[in-house]
Amino acid sequence: MIEIKEVKEPKRIPILGSVMGMFTVFKHLFQKPVTVQYPEVRGEIADRFRFRVYLSTDDCVGCTLCEQVCPNLSITMMTLDKENQRNKRRIYPTVNFGTCTVCRNCEEICPTDAIYLKDVFETARTKNNFLYSPTDLEKSEDEVRR
Amino acid sequence: MNLLLRIADILSILGHYPSFILAYIIETLIVIIFAVVVIAGMVFFFRKYMARVQMRLGPNRVGKGGVLQVMADGLKLIQKESILPEGRDDLAYKIAPILIFFGLIMGFIFIPYGPLAWFGYLTVSHSDVSLIIIFALLAIMPIGEVLSGISSNNKYAVLGALRGVAKDISFEVPMMLSILAVVMMASVKVSDPLNINGVVVAQSIPFAILEPLGFFIFLISMAARASYSPFDMGESDSELVTGNTTEYSGLRFGLFYLGLFGTIFLGSMLISTIYLGGYYGPFTNYLGFIWLLIKTLVLVVISLTIWLSMPRVRIDKFVNFGWKYLLPLSFINLIITGIIIFGGIA
Repeated sequence: MIEIKEVKEPKRIPILGSVMGMFTVFKHLFQKPVTVQYPEVRGEIADRFRFRVYLSTDDCVGCTLCEQVCPNLSITMMTLDKENQRNKRRIYPTVNFGTCTVCRNCEEICPTDAIYLKDVFETARTKNNFLYSPTDLEKSEDEVRR
Repeated sequence: MNLLLRIADILSILGHYPSFILAYIIETLIVIIFAVVVIAGMVFFFRKYMARVQMRLGPNRVGKGGVLQVMADGLKLIQKESILPEGRDDLAYKIAPILIFFGLIMGFIFIPYGPLAWFGYLTVSHSDVSLIIIFALLAIMPIGEVLSGISSNNKYAVLGALRGVAKDISFEVPMMLSILAVVMMASVKVSDPLNINGVVVAQSIPFAILEPLGFFIFLISMAARASYSPFDMGESDSELVTGNTTEYSGLRFGLFYLGLFGTIFLGSMLISTIYLGGYYGPFTNYLGFIWLLIKTLVLVVISLTIWLSMPRVRIDKFVNFGWKYLLPLSFINLIITGIIIFGGIA
């Protein structure tokens, strides 16, 4: 037979709980605020955080694997007039950051490590699309904005 | 020497009567400015305090450290269009916020501010029954609450006003009884116990020590009068939109908002004058006013902590609490005070 133990509730003193709650609230006054004043102060970014896709056109062989693996068709291939012995078809990926979910499948599947991601995340623009051509993908964010 | 005589002294070139008339006007202006500045400071302090307690930063963009945020908000409220609800009771709707603010400002006039350095006593108006006058003036504010509720033609406003009235009735009787105990205690030492200055003078030992029960009741009553969080049934912002102020916008809403924060400050000031010895402290002849302000600020911080740490009490629970616990407690407090007086302890 199972014995049922009676759980003794701790004695409750009226008002004491409220006063302790008030004290807890008051204690928080001396803690550092967690707000980060973003544009002036940069908070810490996690080590493995990645956002912006970069491309090294010298390494790209135009295998289109990244286009096939992209889950929401953010990557499409585009011909670029550039001399590259390893890329005979001269096709390179373009990335639409408007639909990119940063799944990093393209980085994982790339056989030559031509596509890689970095922790740059400030890609806001005044232009109304987020399509990055292969030449844009090579440059840093500041140069693209210019 | 007091502030009025000082001002009249400076203006004495104009002759006796004109200088006194001008001095009265200037003194009144000083009080109104003091009240408004203090209330604005309260709003800023509350926002900053709430933010820091919740580990945020609070207003910090307008002016140095966000000091001008209250001014900016006030200007915004003044500029806003005042939207009048259809089917309202026009006069009552328009007079309600003014009544609330009037009751508040008038309350500031009878507080004994105490002496401050060269200025002397800062108390604006003297009366032999100022204790009663203050509570009569404070009783104007619920009328504004009720008027705003029933005149807005809005179900939430009516419900909020009804709750507000139920709350007001249930704590005002214990509040006045605890004041009666204070008057009894003061009558032993001074000849004018109904004068709030007399009550302060009688406190060689603060009344909070002599009658802690009365202090507790009065503290709860003042929290309920200002209607902040554990007792904000009139507002009930999670159920009744914002209760009786639902239909108000622009400057009229601003007056209600100022009324709330002003009542917290005025309530803290009343508690510190009636129970904590008012302007008494070391160097009271020079720093009396500062002592009053320090006591008030400590009480304000306590009030805001109560506000931020407690959930709202259900209306029937508070009415029960008022009639079944606070009222008997205040009678017990009266009896204890009687025993203390006849025992000759005070």
